[in-house]
Amino acid sequence: MEYIIYIQRNTELIMEYAQNHFALVLTAIIISLVLWVPVGVLITKNEKWASRVLNIANTIFCIPSLSLFAVMVTIPALGLGRRSALVALVLYAMMPLVRNVYQGVKGVDKSVIEAAKGMGMSSWRILWEIQLPLATPVIFAGFRITVVMTTGIAAIATYIGERNLGRLIAEGLTRFNVEMIIVGALFIAIIAIGLDSLLGYIEKRIVPRGLRTGRS
Amino acid sequence: MIELREVSKVYPGQSAPAVDNLSMTVEKGETCVLVGPSGCGKSTTLRMINRMIDTTAGTILIDGKDIRQSDPDKLRMDIGYVIQQIGLLPHRSVAENIAIVPRLHGWPKDRIKKRVDELLTLIGLDPEESRHKFPSQLSGGQMQRVGVARAMAVDPPIMLMDEPFGAVDPIARNHLQDEFLRLQKEMKKTICFVTHDINEAIKMGDRIAIFSAGQLVQYGTPQEILSKPTNDFVKDFIGLDRVVKILSLFHVKDVARRTICTAGESELPNVAGKMRDLGADTCFVLDNGGRAAGFITWEDIAKHGDSAASETMQQIVAGRKKAFVQELVLLRDALSLMLELDTEHLGVMDGNRITGAISLRDIRKHASKKEGE
Repeated sequence: MEYIIYIQRNTELIMEYAQNHFALVLTAIIISLVLWVPVGVLITKNEKWASRVLNIANTIFCIPSLSLFAVMVTIPALGLGRRSALVALVLYAMMPLVRNVYQGVKGVDKSVIEAAKGMGMSSWRILWEIQLPLATPVIFAGFRITVVMTTGIAAIATYIGERNLGRLIAEGLTRFNVEMIIVGALFIAIIAIGLDSLLGYIEKRIVPRGLRTGRS
Repeated sequence: MIELREVSKVYPGQSAPAVDNLSMTVEKGETCVLVGPSGCGKSTTLRMINRMIDTTAGTILIDGKDIRQSDPDKLRMDIGYVIQQIGLLPHRSVAENIAIVPRLHGWPKDRIKKRVDELLTLIGLDPEESRHKFPSQLSGGQMQRVGVARAMAVDPPIMLMDEPFGAVDPIARNHLQDEFLRLQKEMKKTICFVTHDINEAIKMGDRIAIFSAGQLVQYGTPQEILSKPTNDFVKDFIGLDRVVKILSLFHVKDVARRTICTAGESELPNVAGKMRDLGADTCFVLDNGGRAAGFITWEDIAKHGDSAASETMQQIVAGRKKAFVQELVLLRDALSLMLELDTEHLGVMDGNRITGAISLRDIRKHASKKEGE
């Protein structure tokens, strides 16, 4: 009951935080997709580069989020606020996105590629018409992980000046205000679940029909 | 025509060549089966023809043109290619799979659709029913057929087939082989066919190339290979039943004797005279319905005498009620039937019509006959 009263009293503030949070997540994901999907595709063409890029992605993913945000702030061009938050989130997204695109494309049945090549399809055509469509389930799995993860980590960006739902949790902690903490967590969870369900719906429409019948 | 001139292939990091100084020619319209134990270089040879693998040395000519002068993708678009794993695109329907190469050639849509239906009918699938199916909805045999249809889509003059029927069960394989032989009789394509199964090689090949450790050990017609194996390797590879295998190259009708006579059951006592008059050594006895009830051979008459009791004759005839074989059965199978029925003679039929007779002696003579005699 007290949570509902808290939400009613602070609707304006919560909506502002939620909006900021959502905007940050969306921008980060769009930039990540534009950047990492092509990288994931490109490295399938060269083993040496693939292992290099994947190693970098893994290493970045191991850095604790709070410290990565902090490091970004120390870079003069970024500073406190949105830009640092975006760069950090995009760097985090590198691992799940690049890895899943790479593994999805690489995991396509070799005999299908062999047959397509043997019929005279060019390697780019094979990539576009065969490898990418067949990799969609794996790519989508990575995409969904990225979205949920980004929504969660974005909350921590409140410590470098982002006014988002993370602030409810952070302030709740300092003031030991349980309602604040719970409401903050709740809204973050709602955004994550909402986005994930939306993607699940899109995935169902995008995954090629032949693959779905194969599994049933 | 495919011509390989002193072709070698050495894989990086290996000292022994996978294919060693190979020269051979596959004539237009012929099926050439490359056969040998695994790792003998047969698949490598096949894959060099459509440049899936590049040669280390030597030249390969297709209709007199060096394949290295063509763009690999263009070259492959004009060569049918079937592999053991088939490699149908799982996200594309049967029709779309068959349409791949026509689409690469830029055929108009209605022409592609017409060709797809034509091919589906040719391989024994109902176009209406199977056109929109996905590969996962087909049986193994059906997938393999679609794979063959896909390779034939633009009617390429050359087909390369790498163990195309290796992944299906023996019954389906036999069926696919027969169907393919029937198609090939009409299409007359130049085919290179890889298998490790010598029986398949004998069945499918106009010519057989036996490989061992990257080298061509023997190249010849199935009969040449079976009757005159060049060395012990070929002999071993063919197996101890070499001569029986020769029998699978011929049908009953190739050997059957055509001079026959027929008689009704009531004529039994006069059979000897009738056979002598016609110069026939087998006489078929017909029952009242005009169907063959069995037969008497000259040997029976020699054994029991001209005037043998008609009960004895009737017994002999009745004992041969099942001793009939169709004209288009392989000699090997006819021999098997003789052994099974413990008889030395079989009647030969074409459908319900009696057309001749065949004896164990005929088969024996044929098996030991050398080629060209």
